[in-house]
Amino acid sequence: MTTKDLIDKIGLRPLSTFEHREVNGVFVSDMLSDVMAGAKSGNLWLTVQTHKSIVPAANLVDVAAVIVTGGKEVPQETIDIASKYNIAIMVSDLPTFELVGKLYALGSFAK
Amino acid sequence: MEISKIKDALEAVIIEANDTLEGTVEHIYASDLMSDVLAFGKPNSILLTGLATRQAVISAHMAEFKGVVFIRGKRPKDGSDHFARDHHMVLLSTQLDMYDACLRVEAVKRGEPQNHEPDATGTVNEELLLCRELIIQGSDFASAGMASTEIKSVLKTIGLDPKLVRRVAISTYEGEMNVVMHAIRARVVLSVTPRIIEVVIADEGKGIPDVNLAMQEGYTTATEEMRAMGFGSGMGLPNIRRNADELLINSEVGKGTTLVMRFTI
Ligand SMILES: Nc1ncnc2c1ncn2[C@@H]1O[C@H](COP(=O)(O)OP(=O)(O)OP(=O)(O)O)[C@@H](O)[C@H]1O
Ligand SMILES: [Mg+2]
Repeated sequence: MTTKDLIDKIGLRPLSTFEHREVNGVFVSDMLSDVMAGAKSGNLWLTVQTHKSIVPAANLVDVAAVIVTGGKEVPQETIDIASKYNIAIMVSDLPTFELVGKLYALGSFAK
Repeated sequence: MEISKIKDALEAVIIEANDTLEGTVEHIYASDLMSDVLAFGKPNSILLTGLATRQAVISAHMAEFKGVVFIRGKRPKDGSDHFARDHHMVLLSTQLDMYDACLRVEAVKRGEPQNHEPDATGTVNEELLLCRELIIQGSDFASAGMASTEIKSVLKTIGLDPKLVRRVAISTYEGEMNVVMHAIRARVVLSVTPRIIEVVIADEGKGIPDVNLAMQEGYTTATEEMRAMGFGSGMGLPNIRRNADELLINSEVGKGTTLVMRFTI
């Protein structure tokens, strides 16, 4: 499954410009140190955080995409830096719980 | 003893030399305690020290030393070189540790010929492949994470193992965020040798009163506002401990904190 497949399958809105890539799992957290400790390279990172420092965090742990849940508005600044570093930021209008349910229903992300 | 001979014996690099590398010294004084330098150092000496600070250079100057050699590849990053230039002092840096450096200089003193093969541990001749210095401003959430991002891309370009780079990146990020959240400003120095990656984050700030407590998972003094931004789960320092091969924390309340993180290549 790639970030491109997910856009169609679960209705994500891409905000930044990025190259599509393979997704291998999902990590949900709003605490950045948790993401640092637990998210794996290639994961989708679901969060309600939208401030700029999510971009370096996403870049450092090398997640496949940041998915902002609950249709939350993302500051332009955040989107701009994300595009600069080729980090995918997408929004889902679903609350985290429902989005997780949909992703779970899609089954394994492993190839 | 000719200073140039001492430099050769220590395989040292010049940090600052003015025109005085031509000169000679009568004594060598090895110490990390500046009060000892001031009390017992004799004029016309050179200081061997592991204290890479301006204070060391100033103390040596006060004791009328001609220069300072920093051991274990240390280099002061606080404008000491300007001070040295203004006061006609020599600053050198050697990769040797204090014991080996003393042995080598002792041999020069006795007029013994020098033959230094790299030793078994590989620390001798260890060249600095890369050195970067960055500044982090406290409370600057807008640029938070930029220093670690920069360090990650630098390490990636020199082709290190991505897993290793990731550990360095995560540790540096946590150290950087701690400066942003808990300190005033910091200097980050990245050094890479063929054997080791070292990231030093030295901040000015309030310091950590109880380092053992701060190292505990979940311990935090973060404000509500920081927590709302997703920081302050009290996992930063534990994350560093997990990712770094070696972590040294030195903190002085009211002054600041220095993190030394080392990663074996
Ligand atoms: N550079 C520093 N200067 C002053 N205090 C610090 C510094 N680094 C850490 N501390 C103290 O140690 C505590 C624990 O740090 P740690 O990084 O583990 O967690 P945190 O920063 O509070 O939260 P998190 O890193 O999970 O966002 C901090 O809350 C703070 O009180
Ligand atoms: Mg922290």
